[in-house]
Amino acid sequence: MTEAHLVLDHLEKRFGAGPPAVASLSLDVRKGELLGLLGPSGCGKTTTLRMIGGLAEATAGHILVGGRDVTTLPPHKRDMGIVFQNYALFPHMDVAGNVAFGLEMRKRPKAEVRERVERALEMVHLQGLGHRKPRELSGGQQQRVALARALVIEPSILLLDEPLSNLDAKLRDEMRTEIRDIQQRLGITTIFVTHDQVEALAMCDRIAVMRAGLLEQVGTPYEIYETPATPFVADFVGRINRIDGERDGNGEIVAGPFRLRAAKPGRAGKVTVMVRPHRIHVATDAIGPEWNSATGTIRRATYVGDVLACEVDCGGATLTVERHTHPGLPIPRGGEAVTLAWRVSDTLAFDRPAALSADAP
Amino acid sequence: MPIASRIALALLLPALLVNMAVFLLPMGNLALLSFRQANEGGALLEGITLATWAKMFGDIFYAELVRDSVVIALAITGLTLLCSYPIALFIHRAPDRWKNMLVVMCISPLLVSAVVRTYGWMVILGDGGIIAAFLRWLGMVKAPRMVFNTTGVVVGLTEILMPYMILALIAGFGRLNTSLEEAAASLGAKPFTVFRRVVLPLTLPGIMLGCLLAFVLAVSSFITPKLLGGGRVFLLATEIYDQAIVTLNWPVAAALSIVVLVIFGFALTLYGRLARAVA
Repeated sequence: MTEAHLVLDHLEKRFGAGPPAVASLSLDVRKGELLGLLGPSGCGKTTTLRMIGGLAEATAGHILVGGRDVTTLPPHKRDMGIVFQNYALFPHMDVAGNVAFGLEMRKRPKAEVRERVERALEMVHLQGLGHRKPRELSGGQQQRVALARALVIEPSILLLDEPLSNLDAKLRDEMRTEIRDIQQRLGITTIFVTHDQVEALAMCDRIAVMRAGLLEQVGTPYEIYETPATPFVADFVGRINRIDGERDGNGEIVAGPFRLRAAKPGRAGKVTVMVRPHRIHVATDAIGPEWNSATGTIRRATYVGDVLACEVDCGGATLTVERHTHPGLPIPRGGEAVTLAWRVSDTLAFDRPAALSADAP
Repeated sequence: MPIASRIALALLLPALLVNMAVFLLPMGNLALLSFRQANEGGALLEGITLATWAKMFGDIFYAELVRDSVVIALAITGLTLLCSYPIALFIHRAPDRWKNMLVVMCISPLLVSAVVRTYGWMVILGDGGIIAAFLRWLGMVKAPRMVFNTTGVVVGLTEILMPYMILALIAGFGRLNTSLEEAAASLGAKPFTVFRRVVLPLTLPGIMLGCLLAFVLAVSSFITPKLLGGGRVFLLATEIYDQAIVTLNWPVAAALSIVVLVIFGFALTLYGRLARAVA
């Protein structure tokens, strides 16, 4: 593991009175790593990105790039490429002019600028469009120009602020792969702000989940999804069932109508149990110590093509169950009795301190 | 002719007729008047003549009048732009909830008549005014004269035209957006370079619109130059008034009005050319 390239050290941002927008945030980002800042709107992820880029002043804490403290440097001295949510292309310059801007600021000779602009446009598959004005391009093309403009200066760090949120779904998938490819090829340290968990899971080496200015968890997409640190993370990165219950001294959990065992042992007391809908199996005979099971009646079945979602009333608690579809799959009717089973290893249990019971995400 | 076009024409006709009656006809009359001649008492002589125009082209006073008017109007326009631009930029960048209030504050001087505001400036700039008093307090023995000369006219008109300039500038700032400035800065542009390469080009439409408006209003303004000029500053608008009301030489007044129109024509053409070049 190479050492940290970007270090956020107890970074804090306050806007006036009230709780801070970003509170004591500490993060290490390795060289060449793509780190996602994931969270709902208002969680402080964009503010964090703006502090890294020098567009917002940190109230407290430090930002280090390659060991150098850049906390108080103005943006034009930070050498960071930023792709803005609205792309922020200069409307009075053509595509080539936009991409060349950063190189002109660095006083590169004309011939070099021309060559590097051409190469950058090639990289984002826009060769030959250098003379177009930004308004003559589609949203996806504008996005590519913004990316080329940020990358052509070979910045030490690339900052992406929700770059895909203004694209339609199909283009978003395409750009997702493309940005990831370019990032890998150039090996550039990248911070990627998004509120879309699929985007974050698909693109990032590691994800930092933020909530109300605080860091909830940092980990690989696998860790974030499979072993979420808090109920908030579990809920934010994908659909999940949630039942409140209590754990006894033997590690057995009584939650509503269920008697369960969880993936990890914990101390006795109030807990929140969470299970992902697609990890619950319907009408199986999977019984044994590694399984939790329950019975119930189907209240509603929703068929959405690739997934069949059923709401199952288990007598005091409702579980959502999802399964992949295939031709010939019977669509259950409401009122049908079913047996459900899910692995103990898929059963997440979180201690629920009495004082923080209003912890609903 | 398609029915839609016929309806459109029918709807346009009343406005067209009204404009013909109250705008084009008097203009034609004005042009005609400039080819007549008046005697000492102001009575129009019979017959069409080029005498009035010949007199104007022959007398250096009129050439200087046009030159001075244009130069002073340009100076006022430039000064108005310099004073208004930072204010307009500030308002454009202000949060939405403040914006309306700031705009209202900027245009509130328009609620007071230009005559009153001009008298206000006469008090402020006059020999007994606060500026002169301040200069004397600084130890200046003889404070410079600031009313009844070009300085007074320029200062007064600049302030009077600022609301129009600010409104025009804000209207033309649509394409400017904070993230563009941030993008430029992140690409390595120093603050002044950001202004020169991004802010200025993007606000150019507003600047041109504001300058056109201020120039036209400055050339045609009459009350402020009359009062703050104290009869010593000779401009086209004041001269037209004098010729029409005092000397009763309507043909000369008409000819000068045509000259003003031609100047406006030039200004508009230049604006059109520049606007196309920028777009």
